[in-house]
Amino acid sequence: MPRRVSIGMATIFIVCILWFCATTLFGLIPSGRFPSPAETWSALIHVSGRGYGGGDLTLHVYNSLRLVVMGFLFAIATGVPLGLLMGWNRKAEAIINPIFLIIRPIPPLAWIPLAILWLGLGDAAKIMVIWFSAFVPSVINTFAGVRNIDRPVIEAAYMLGMPKTRFVGEVLIPGASPMIFTGLRLSLQASWTTLVAAELVGAFYGIGRVLNVAQQDLYPGMILVGMIAVAILGWGTTRLLGVAESRALRWNTAALAAKG
Amino acid sequence: MGVIQFKDVGKIFGPRDSGFVALQDINLEIRDREFVAIVGPSGCGKTTCLRMVAGFENTTDGVVSVDGTPIKRPGPDRAVVFQQFALFPWKSVYDNIDMGLRNLNVSGAERASRIDAILNLMNLTQYAKHFPHQLSGGMQQRVAIARAYVLDPDVLLMDEPFGALDAQTRVVMQEELVRLARKNPRTVLFITHAVEEAVYLADRVAIMTRAPGRIKEVLDIASVRNAEAWDSHEKIEDVMDLESFVHLRTHIWRSLREEKAAQHV
Repeated sequence: MPRRVSIGMATIFIVCILWFCATTLFGLIPSGRFPSPAETWSALIHVSGRGYGGGDLTLHVYNSLRLVVMGFLFAIATGVPLGLLMGWNRKAEAIINPIFLIIRPIPPLAWIPLAILWLGLGDAAKIMVIWFSAFVPSVINTFAGVRNIDRPVIEAAYMLGMPKTRFVGEVLIPGASPMIFTGLRLSLQASWTTLVAAELVGAFYGIGRVLNVAQQDLYPGMILVGMIAVAILGWGTTRLLGVAESRALRWNTAALAAKG
Repeated sequence: MGVIQFKDVGKIFGPRDSGFVALQDINLEIRDREFVAIVGPSGCGKTTCLRMVAGFENTTDGVVSVDGTPIKRPGPDRAVVFQQFALFPWKSVYDNIDMGLRNLNVSGAERASRIDAILNLMNLTQYAKHFPHQLSGGMQQRVAIARAYVLDPDVLLMDEPFGALDAQTRVVMQEELVRLARKNPRTVLFITHAVEEAVYLADRVAIMTRAPGRIKEVLDIASVRNAEAWDSHEKIEDVMDLESFVHLRTHIWRSLREEKAAQHV
């Protein structure tokens, strides 16, 4: 096991010990404020077994994950092409940019009331809000990625007689891809943030729903289970994206390694 | 064929009446398979001349043409070697060299044989699968030259190709380019501010002045080279030691320095 990983594991282990000491062992934190490890564990058993807030843990996780993935995919499927267009075509940028200037300062969560008004409490409203929040980082970073491509590289493509149809796939997208992936990572983070917020406001299933019900029930153990679940899902999906990134950018990792 | 002609070429950046006059009254004809170097101080517009032949830049006045056809846009008939290499970092050495041939719809078998030949010629065979960033600067520029040469272009445009290399690598590349250029002559327009490089490589050297960019003098090197049998010397330092070489080099130095002095008055 690499040294970094073992140190990291040790840190987590120590935090758990401290947590145990502060709650169960010395009672420094009352269990009404923050749950002990045992209470958290029993809440986990509770939601996995009998279920809580309208379903068991698998159902909640499945619903949250599904919405995030759909919203995220929808956002990047629209955001990346728009970023490419704006990066490449100055006219398109001039036309579209003002809309962005107006929309950007609005926090994505501020769209939730409107989304619920339009689409109700079901999936569609949440996907829309996730789309709104994840869309912007994809567009902006893709745009910046295109603008950052070395001018001589683009000229070299022209000089080599590259047809327009291949130019997008072989120059524009790979050239912008390091920044595109930065955008995707930010989009994914935004997707999770927004999802939980949207589910807190109103949902039938999902981790946000668990958090919301647990808060009303004054059930700190369950709140912590929900938070940990979001953390693990966020970490896992980011990790998956990281794997895709290192596959796609193998040439770039070589570049970074060469620079030391 | 590959005859490059500059006819009364002028270039103004910005508005015609108040913009920056980069080039004025450029007249130069580069014959088929002739190697012409343009030397001059930074900002004299020598790179702009090359970019106009490449099709990256328009003329404000006059016409730049290749074989009588005015240039409108870039194309693989005029291969460019850039100072900063401009390889596609996401493509392997092989795929970088392959790119132009694919765009020209050359058949797969012919592409493979031409790429293998050029890789071999440039000592790159073992690096075919490497990405550009895994190579040194000299190697990268070798790939860029291979990418240009493999197209078998009428015209080869080299924009300070060795400017980003260290002195030792530079010398090796200069010798290799001479080898390549004598074996497989192309019409070459070579931009540099290194006087020795220009004298060593070129058949003729055009000396440019700054503000506005003009061609001050065009020097015939080839006749001296042939008369003094420079090419019988394998190493660049032996050529650079010859009296005839030193004489030409000094002449160009003076010409450039006079220009500088004149500007300070």
